[in-house]
Amino acid sequence: MTEPFTHLHVASAFSLRYGTAFPAALVRRAAEHGMDTLALTDRDGLYGAIKHVIACHEQGVRPVVGVDLALDGAASPPSTPDDLFGGGPPYGRRTGRGHAHGHGHGRGTAGEPARVVVLARSGGWAALCRLVTAAHHAGERGEPHVTPGVVAEHATGPDGEPRLVVLLGPRSGVGRAVAERRDDHARALLAAWRATVPDVVVEVSDLYGYRDANTAARMIGLADSTGVPVVLTNAVRHLDAADHQVGNVLDAARKLVPLDGRHLDDPTAHAYLKDGAEMARVAARICGGDTGRAGRLLAETRRVADRCVLDPVEIVPLLDPERPRLHLPETGEDPVPALRRRCEEGLARRGLERSAEARDRLAAELHVIEKKRLSGYFTSVAGITDMIRGMGVRCAIRGSGAGSLVNYLIGIGEVNPLEHGLLMERFLSEGRKGLPDIDIDVESARRLDCYRAILGRYGEERVACVSMMETYRARSAIRDVGAAMGLPPHEIDVIAKAFPQVRARQIRAALSDLPELRDSGLNDRSLQTVFRLAERLDGLPRHIALHPCGVLIGNATLRDRTPVERSLLDFPMSQFDKDDVEEAGLLKLDVLGVRMQSALAYALREIERVENRKIDLDAVPRDDPETYDMIRLSRTIGCFQIESPGQRELVAKLEPRTMHDLIVDISLFRPGPVNSDMVTPYLETRHGFREARYPHESLREALKETNGVVVFHEQVMRIIDIMTGSGLSEADRARRALGTPEGREAVRAWFVPLARENGYPPDVVEQAWKVLDAFGGFGFCKAHAAAFALPTYQSAWLKRHHTAAFLAGVLTHDPGMYPSRVILDEARQCGVDVLPLDVNRSGKTWLVERTGPAEGGPGEFGRGYGLRVPFSAVRGVSEAEVDRMVAGRPYTSLADFWERARPSRPVAERIVEVGGFDALHGLRPGEPRWRPGRLTRRDLIAQVGALDRGSPVGAAGQLPMGFTERVTPGELPEMTEAEAVEAELEILGMDVSRHVMDFYRDLLDAIGVTRARDLLRRRNGAEILVAGVKVATQTPAVRSGQRVIFTTLDDSTGPIDLTFFESVQAHTAATVFGSWLLAARGVVRRTGGRAVSLRAVHCWNLADLDRVWRSEGLDAVRAMISEVPAPGAGVGGRPIEYGNGFRVSPYSDNGAPPAAREGRFLSGLPAEPQRRLWHASSGSSGPSPGR
Amino acid sequence: MSRLYGDPIEVWVRDGHPAQFVWRDRLYTVREIQDYWVVAREWWKTSDADPGERRFWRVGAATGKEAGTYELRFDTASGGWLLLRAWD
Repeated sequence: MTEPFTHLHVASAFSLRYGTAFPAALVRRAAEHGMDTLALTDRDGLYGAIKHVIACHEQGVRPVVGVDLALDGAASPPSTPDDLFGGGPPYGRRTGRGHAHGHGHGRGTAGEPARVVVLARSGGWAALCRLVTAAHHAGERGEPHVTPGVVAEHATGPDGEPRLVVLLGPRSGVGRAVAERRDDHARALLAAWRATVPDVVVEVSDLYGYRDANTAARMIGLADSTGVPVVLTNAVRHLDAADHQVGNVLDAARKLVPLDGRHLDDPTAHAYLKDGAEMARVAARICGGDTGRAGRLLAETRRVADRCVLDPVEIVPLLDPERPRLHLPETGEDPVPALRRRCEEGLARRGLERSAEARDRLAAELHVIEKKRLSGYFTSVAGITDMIRGMGVRCAIRGSGAGSLVNYLIGIGEVNPLEHGLLMERFLSEGRKGLPDIDIDVESARRLDCYRAILGRYGEERVACVSMMETYRARSAIRDVGAAMGLPPHEIDVIAKAFPQVRARQIRAALSDLPELRDSGLNDRSLQTVFRLAERLDGLPRHIALHPCGVLIGNATLRDRTPVERSLLDFPMSQFDKDDVEEAGLLKLDVLGVRMQSALAYALREIERVENRKIDLDAVPRDDPETYDMIRLSRTIGCFQIESPGQRELVAKLEPRTMHDLIVDISLFRPGPVNSDMVTPYLETRHGFREARYPHESLREALKETNGVVVFHEQVMRIIDIMTGSGLSEADRARRALGTPEGREAVRAWFVPLARENGYPPDVVEQAWKVLDAFGGFGFCKAHAAAFALPTYQSAWLKRHHTAAFLAGVLTHDPGMYPSRVILDEARQCGVDVLPLDVNRSGKTWLVERTGPAEGGPGEFGRGYGLRVPFSAVRGVSEAEVDRMVAGRPYTSLADFWERARPSRPVAERIVEVGGFDALHGLRPGEPRWRPGRLTRRDLIAQVGALDRGSPVGAAGQLPMGFTERVTPGELPEMTEAEAVEAELEILGMDVSRHVMDFYRDLLDAIGVTRARDLLRRRNGAEILVAGVKVATQTPAVRSGQRVIFTTLDDSTGPIDLTFFESVQAHTAATVFGSWLLAARGVVRRTGGRAVSLRAVHCWNLADLDRVWRSEGLDAVRAMISEVPAPGAGVGGRPIEYGNGFRVSPYSDNGAPPAAREGRFLSGLPAEPQRRLWHASSGSSGPSPGR
Repeated sequence: MSRLYGDPIEVWVRDGHPAQFVWRDRLYTVREIQDYWVVAREWWKTSDADPGERRFWRVGAATGKEAGTYELRFDTASGGWLLLRAWD
C-alpha cells in the first residue's frame, strides 16, 4: 500500500481574487480523499494559515504551510546566459511589468511576474513569517515580491540548518524557460537557486493544458540531470472542477481586464483538489507511462511533505486547552507583584480601602488572573491607558471589561462595577480560554495618534495592527463581475447601487423578492449571467484592510508568530484577523476611535473659546432634570445612541429619569429584546400598568432592577447561578451556549435537573427556563450598556445646555447617522442661528458665534448663538487651501482673497456661489433690496474668471498689481433664493439660507398637508397627508419577520416618522428609496405621551407632484394623490427563523455596520465633507435604474 | 505539414482515450497517444451555464499499411468528435 498523496501547492480563497475555496473546506475534502497531510500555500501571504492549521487539527490532518510569492523582476528573464553570469544580479533586472510579452508560457502569464512556492520545514514557521514580512516590506503595498537573496536570508537557521523549501514550478523562471525551450537558461537559473538556497526542489504539474505534460516531462529531465528532487503538485485553486468559472472571473477582476482567453491563468478546469488516484494518473501521464519514474515522483513528493509537517500547537497555542502558551509583552519586572501593588494603590485612590466587598472581589479576580498568568496583560494595558490620557485624549473603557474591579482600580476604566452590579465573570472566568478582551474608546480624531504612541512605546518589532478581510457582497460582486463581462462602467454603477447591502448570494432572490427591484428592469435576461456569477463570489475575500480597532502588543518574538505588512496608512498590520490573533495566543487591545468622543472634546473646546468657561464633563451632575426633559420629548437628534427614529420613539415611551434608565434604554434597543418583546412588559411594569412578576422569590434580587424582565446578560448569569448553584463562571458558559439551538438543548438538559435538585418546584423551573430560552443568546451586556450610557448622558447634557457648541462638534466630527443638513435643521429647531459661509468669519471647522440675547421660545434652548459654515464644507476644497484661507483672514476683497488664499478657480467660484463674499461685498441675493446696478454673486463669479485669466501661469499668487479686468456691477443678474439654496445643496450638501421645503409651501397648503408640529393635534387613526425631505430610511429587524421600511421626513417644523409595511411596499418601495422629497398619506398612530408616528399607505415624489401642479394644476395633483394603488405583490423571501421562534426578514439591517462606515474611523477630520443628503441603512436599496 | 479538416467522425473509446475511429469511410486504429490536452470553453460567450470543455488528442494511427498522425477533438457538451488535422 502506497502512502497517500499530499498536495503541496494549494491556494485558498485567501489568495485574494485568485482562490475560491476556504481552508476548512479544502482540509475536509483532503480528509475525505484519505489524505493525512495538506499544505496551504496562499499567494502573497499567510492570511489563511491559522484557519488551515486549526482545520487540520480538527480533521486529524498534518498541516504544511507555505506561501506563493512573486519574484522581483523575474517577469523578464535575462535573455542570454551572458546576462545571467556577467555583472548585475543573476536573476534578472527590474524592468517593470508587461515586458515579457511574447515569451509567455502560452497561458495568461504574460506580464505577470514569475512565482515560487516557499514551504516552511518543520520548525520553520518563524522563518516563513519573517520571509512574508520581508516580501511585503520590499514590494509596493499590495505587490509583495522577493529575490532569491531575500529567500536565502530566511532559508537557514543560525547553524545553517534549512528552515524553508523552495519549489520551482511551471510559473517560476525555471519552468518558463523550459516551456520556452531555453534549456540552458533554465539550467543556469536552477543552478543559481541551488547555490543560494540549500533546500530547492523542482515542482511539476499538469493541468491538461496544451503542452503542460510536455513541459513537466522536460522539467523532470532537467532536474534528473542535475540531481534535484522533483515533486508533483496540482497547483490547486478550486475545490471542484466546476469552480473554474469563478476562477476565470477572479482572474479578470484581479487583472482589471475583461474576460478573454488570453487573460486566463488556467485555460482548463483541472486546478482542483484531485484525489490520490487522479494524481497517480497525472504522474503516469507526465512520466510517459514510466511507472518507476512516476512512483519515484510520488515518493519524493511525500518525502518533502514529511519534512514540512508543522506542530499545530506551536502555531496555534490555544489548541492546547490546558496550558496555552501566550505571547505577552515583556514588562521588565515580575508582573504578579506589580499588579498586586497597583491594585492596592487603586483601593486607596478610589476610597475602597475599607470596603470588605471590594477586597473580597479583588481577591477573587486576582486569583483568576494569576492562575491564568495574565497579570502582565493587565499591567501592560494600564500602562497604555495611562499614556493615552497623558496625551490629553479622552479615553473610556467599553464592553465587558467594565465589569472588572481590577480594571477600575488600576485606572483602565472609570466605571465602578460594584456600583452597577456588574460581574467580572462576564469578562474573565476560569472556564474561558484565551485572553480577555479589553476595549478602549478614544477620540476618533486622535485614534491614530494613540496607535503611534503605542508603536513608539513598544517599538515596531513588538506591535502590529490587526487586519480584517473585506469580502464580496452583492454590490462589490456585481461590480467585479460586470467589469469582467465588459459592461460599461456607468451601467455597472447604476446596477450595483440599486441593490441594498445584502449578501452576494441573495442577488437573484432580492430581485424577485423586493418590489423596488422587481419593476426595475434588472430582471433582464442579459444580466442573468452577471448575477449568477456574482452570487458565486459570495463571501470570498476581496481585499485586506486595517481592522477598525485591534492592536497587537507582543514581545520581541512577535514577528516570528505573525507576518506583517503595511496598511494603507503605513501602519504595520498583521495578516491575521482578530480571531486568528486570539487563537495564536497574541495579546490584542481594541482601541476604537469613537466620533462622539471627538465631538464632545470639540464642543468643550468651543465653549472654552467662546465663553471662556472650562467644563469638566465627567464631573457634571448626572441627574439634571432639564436634560432628561429634553430626552423625554425625543429631542435627541445628535445625541449618542438615542437619536435614531426607533430610539426617539423608545425614549418617549420609557421616559428616562436616571442613568440606570438610560442603561436599560440602551440595552432594550437591540434586535434581541425588540424581537423577543421584552420592551412592552418592561414598559408596562415601569409605568405601573402591570405588577412586576418573578418566577421565584429567590430571583427577585437579580431581576428587581428591570421589574422582573430579563434585559442583561448579567441577569441571565445570576438566574442560572442562583438556581443551579454552579457559580458564575459556569453560568456564563451556559449563557454563551444559549445562542444556538443545539446549545439551548444542552443547557436545558443540564439546567432543569440541577435546579430541581436544588429544591425548586417543577413549575418554577419550567417558568425560569422559558425566560432563559426566550432570551436566547440575545440581550445585552450590562457592563457595555453602562459604559455607553455615560457618553449618552454627556452628549444630551451638552446639547441641552450648550446647544451650539455641541452641534458644532457633531457637525465637525459626524458621529451619528444623520447628514449635516438634518443636524443644521435640528439647530434651527433649537433656536440656533445658521450662519452662511463668510470668508472673514468662517474657520476650518464649524465655529460658534454669539448672535444675541439667550432668550427664545419653548424648546429653543440654543437661542443667542450661531453656527458658522466652515471652509471645509465646500465641495472639492483641499486641506492646504482651507489652511491658507483661514490664515489669510481678514480679506478686503475678492481679489485680495484670490491673491492670498490662492484657491483653485472652481473652489473660489463655489465660495462666491454659496455667499462667502456676501458680507464683504454687501450682496443681498434674493432680497427685495437688491436692485439692478448693484454688485451680484454672478458678477463676482465673472470676476473670478478674470482673476484666473490674469494670473501668470505657474507663478500663483504673483498677481501684477493694478491689473484686473473690470467687471461692471449688476452686469449679470443676481441669483434667486431658489438658486441659492440649490447651490448650497450642491456645494455644501445642506440648505443653509432657507429650508428646502419652503419652496413647496404653497403646494403643501393647497393639498392640505399636515406639518410635523401639528401632528400631536391629529387624532389617533386619522388618515392625513404629510411631506418633507427624506432624512433617513432604515429596515431594522422587527418581530413580525417582515421587511419594514422606517422613513423619517423633515418638513422644517420637525421630524415625521413613517412606517411602510410590506403590504404597501409594492407601490411605494421604489419611490421611498429613490426620491429625496416625499409626500405621503398615512394613518396617525400615537406611540407615547408625546410621540406620533404614521403608518404609511401611499407615497409620491414631491418633485413630481410639484411639476404636475405647475403644468396641469391642482386638480391633476388631487387626482394623483387620491388614486388607489393597484394591489401588488409585497416583499418575498423566507424570514430567517431563530431557534427560539423569532423571525427576521432576510432584508433587514443586520447588526454589523457596513465596512465602509467603519473605515471612516480611519480619517481624522472628515477631509472630504459628506455629500450624502440622507441616511440609508445597510438594508436600504438605492435608486432603481430606469427611474 | 499538416492539413486542416474539421470532419465529424465516429470514435471508439477505451480507458478514456480514443482507440479506433472512422474517417472518410476508412477505419483507423490508434497505435499511440502522442499528446492529450483539454481547453475549457469560453463559457462567458454562451448562454449555457456550463458549455463544457474540449478535449484534444494527438494520436498515431493507421489504416491498413498507411500510418500517420491525427488530431482529434471531443466536445463534452455536444458529445461529438471531429478530426481536426492530419499529418499523413
